Order: sequence, then C-alpha cells, then structure tokens
Amino acid sequence: MDASYLDLLMAQQEEVSEAEGGGGGVWVVADIVDGALAPVTLQALGAARGLADSLGAYVYGVLLGRDVTDLAPALYQAGADGVRIADHPSLADYALEPFLGVLADLFDSEQPEVVLFGATKAGQQLAARLAQRMGGGLIEHVTAVGLDESTRAVLGTYPMYGGEYFQVAACPAARPQFLTIEPGAFPSPFLDPYRKGEPTPLDLEPPAAAVRVIGPAEGFQPPVGPLSQATVIVAAGRHAGDFELVRKLAAAIGGRVAGDRGARDRGWVEADQVLDVRGVVATPEVYVAIGIGGDTFHNAAVEGARFILAVHPRPDAPIFELADLVLEADPQEVLPILLDELE
Amino acid sequence: MRIVVVVGRVLDPSGFVVNRRAGRVFVNREEYILHPADRCALEAALRIKDASGAEVVALPRAPLPDDDVLRQALSMGADRAIDLYGDALEAADEAVMSRVLAATVGRLGETALVLIGAQTLDTGFSQLGPRLAEALGWPQLVGAWQVDVAEGRVQAVLQSQGRYGVNEADLPAVVSVASGALEPRYPNGVRLINVYRGEGEVAQGLERWDVSSLVEADVLEPLVEQRGLDFPPERERGARARGTPQEMAAAAAEALRRHLRS
Repeated sequence: MDASYLDLLMAQQEEVSEAEGGGGGVWVVADIVDGALAPVTLQALGAARGLADSLGAYVYGVLLGRDVTDLAPALYQAGADGVRIADHPSLADYALEPFLGVLADLFDSEQPEVVLFGATKAGQQLAARLAQRMGGGLIEHVTAVGLDESTRAVLGTYPMYGGEYFQVAACPAARPQFLTIEPGAFPSPFLDPYRKGEPTPLDLEPPAAAVRVIGPAEGFQPPVGPLSQATVIVAAGRHAGDFELVRKLAAAIGGRVAGDRGARDRGWVEADQVLDVRGVVATPEVYVAIGIGGDTFHNAAVEGARFILAVHPRPDAPIFELADLVLEADPQEVLPILLDELE
Repeated sequence: MRIVVVVGRVLDPSGFVVNRRAGRVFVNREEYILHPADRCALEAALRIKDASGAEVVALPRAPLPDDDVLRQALSMGADRAIDLYGDALEAADEAVMSRVLAATVGRLGETALVLIGAQTLDTGFSQLGPRLAEALGWPQLVGAWQVDVAEGRVQAVLQSQGRYGVNEADLPAVVSVASGALEPRYPNGVRLINVYRGEGEVAQGLERWDVSSLVEADVLEPLVEQRGLDFPPERERGARARGTPQEMAAAAAEALRRHLRS
C-alpha cells in the first residue's frame, strides 16, 4: 500500500513557525566542533524546548561559523522553531570579539527571555560577556532546569564542589536570563525528521579579534601536581598482572599511575605513588583500581573518589564494597578489550 | 606598572561532610582557604613583580566577613590589599562584584593587568573574569597556564583541545589563571606576623574602601537569587558489570567516558 501521503501529511503538520517580529523566546547558541554540532547543543535544545513549552514561548537556535547552513535542519529537528545563521569567514574559528559582537547585535534586537549556551570554553566566555553587556544574570554549569511560574524565572541547578551537592538559583528580575548547560547533564532530544523550517541569515560585520594567536607553546610542560590532587588515577595492585596495561589505561584516560602496597612490593610504583592512609590520600574524580583487593588502609585512602571502577578476579575482594562499578574478571583479560573500547 | 589580582575565600572541603539522606551539609571545621585558582593568579602576579618590579594590589572577589585572605595575599608578597565593605555589598553576586571591582580598578588608575582565578572551587563559576573584562572594556585571556608581560603586551599559554599555545593581547587586559597552573609560594613568616600584628610596611598595605564611594546604590542589586540546595540520590556501591569480558569492558568504557566528561 502506498503510504507516502502520510509523510506529506506529517510534513505539513510539523512545518514549524516562529513569532513575527521576534521578541522574547528561549535561545540556544550552538557549539560547533570540527564542522559538526556538539552534543551539548542538542541537549540544550531539548532543555530549551521543555522550558519554552512551559513558558509559552518559541525556541530559537543560533549558528555562528563558516558554511554552517547545513547544520540548521538538525536544530529544527531537535526542537527549534527558528534558526538564525551568522555565516562569515571571520567566524570560521572561534574568537571572542567577533562572536560576541554578532550575538550582542542579534540579542539587542531580539531581546530574548532566556539564552542557553553549552558549558564549553567558548560558551562560558560568551555567556559571561553577554550577561555583563546586557545586564542579565548568569547561572553556570546547569544540570537541571525548572521554572518559577510567578516570575517566569528559570531555576538552574548547578553542582557545588564538583557535585557533592547542588545549589538551585534563579534570576527573577533581570532579563535575559543566561544559563550554561553542563555537557552530558541533559538527555539528547529525539530528532523529529518531520520538523523543518527556513533559517534566517543575518547581515553582519563582525569586529576584529583582540587576542592574537602566536603559535604552539614550544617546550611548555604543565606542572605536575601532587598525586593527592590528581583528578584521574589508575592504580595497580598485586593481581594487576601486566603493569604496562595499567600504564596504557592511565595514558588513555589522562590519569596518573599509582598503586597499593602490593604494587610497591613488586617495584611497579614508588613510595610516593602508594595510595594508603599511611601514604597518599586522594579524592580524584575518577579512580580505577586494577587488581587491588582493597585492604582497610587502601580503601580509606580512596573512599572520597567521585567514581570508583574496580577490576579484580576474586568475587569477595573488599574493594568491591566501595566501588561504583565492579568487574569481577582477570585484569589481563579485560584491560586489552577496555583499551580497544576507549580508543 | 600596577597589577591587580582578585582573590576570594572558600570553605575548605575537607572540613564538611554531605549527608545526602538527611539533605544537609554538616560543617565540622569551618576553615576557609584561598580559591586554588586565585592562589595561582596571585603567584603569577608575584612572579611578574619579581621580574619587573610591578606593584601588586589584591582585591576581594566577593564580600569578605574577615580580611584573612587579603592578609594572606600581603604575607605572600602583595604590596597592597583593599578590603571593600558596605552593608549593601553583603549579598553581592558576580554581576555586582564585576562593577564594584571595575570601579575600584578605575579609582586605582594606571592598572596594566588584572589577574584572577579562572574558576571557583565551590560553584565552579568562571564568569567574574570575563564580566570584569567586559565592565572595563579590556581584552581577556582565559585559563592561562603561564603569564608574561613585555612591551605593552601580555602573553599567556592557553590550553586548547589538549594542546598548549601562546596567545597575546595588548595591555591593559584581564587574564584568568587556571587552577594548578603554578606552584604558589608559601607566605613569608615575618610578613605574616607583621600583617596580623599591624606592624611594619606590610601592615600599612591593608586598606578599607567603602563601596558607596565607588558605585551608585542601584549597581549593588544582585541579579541571581539562591533558591536552596538539592542533593543527589545516595550513592549505590557495588554494582556489578555482568556478561562476557567484552560486555564488561564495554560497560566500564561507557561509565569511564561518562564520568570523565563530567
């Protein structure tokens, strides 16, 4: 049976429209990485769609760059009602002043109610500068949004001390309300292929950049801080098997190599790399324990880690009670596969 | 040449515990430290001072109930530290502080460089540096690992996509310094004692300025309002990845990616 008329019907129904003459709305400024939309942009659009539906407002996406028109359909599919395109050779690579100038002109005329950026390097800078220029409030690294319907203020939840707990804040009076969305905090929205629209190109003449890129920093080596302040640690224990695999895993995830007393006995690590309450106590964001059984002294030294992955062949290894994710397996068998997966 | 460095204090995270079930933060030891990134910014300022003889002036990034962090800056080597006070300043957010700091920099005059920590330890906010740059109308370099000043220009080593590159801007400029970029020096013992005893030249460097003499009252209205705390669900430990080694490795890789990204 020919059901093509259904496609036509859907397409007609989902042709999106936007407010005439602009004004208000929830705006999302897209992050473009290597010519593609960053996932956080779609996640922010999903959050914006939810907010806009509650506020009774439209969602707009803004694309800045060179030859970015092809990315507009994805913004519509993710929930945008309108898309503005700033396509200019001087926007090919991110530089603060040209991007800031274009966005400031656009938002001056459109007067958005809410503006979302990804909490990326560029997004963080642009959001802060625009908030200052336009007299708006800014909540950064937002992981959840809500709405105070009495003031139409967006409630932004952001992590304190890296996520130990969360603070909720709002900008009840100042407009626009700026928020930067933490990558990965919101789900990616369903891309509806029947949502489509016609993007609006912007007339623009971006200002010149004030910062000059000189070139690579030849010979610069960032300082290596103490192990206790490392954000990612991969540690080996007596059952790690091949220590070279542990090194490779640390290199793959940008972590520091450490060990327990068993690793020290085997000569794999130095005394200042031993994680133990009598040695180094650490609170990394990610801690990977390879072949570490986990005695009381070791476990007490790493229990403050935000996420613990433990790999050990014994089902009753004490580290398993502490770990967030447990792999009961031989490290020599699992690590090569894990390295492949990470690549 | 005058360098302004913005420093702030934060509750030492080793002094409190978070009880997610009770939905409360229990502070066992109320001790405050300098934001680690601000300490690095102060160190960067002091290194430029060591090299060029610049004057270093410390300003607070937020209203301070006490001036300990400013005394610490003086004891580390800052020439002056200005405590900004005023009843209306107590609830100040970054938008307010950026205007107050810009007015303070304007009053000081002849400032070539403002250095500030790129990110706070507690909120993770990085907006004060860019906001201050906007308020002053100066260029900004964000997340510097090394800062050098020469011939009316500032050069900073910035990280971008895993690589380090040199970026340059004309002075005056605002540079925010990455946490862990530099090894901060210890306070000088004699200066530390003198600054608390109120003796010697170092103690004379501590000044107090009334914000009402710097900005209009309407500038002191904060834009962001705190609406309470939220707590994540209690951590569930001991979740096992099941299946073949391939399936276990895939689950581990996915979890690692998720946590490394956040």
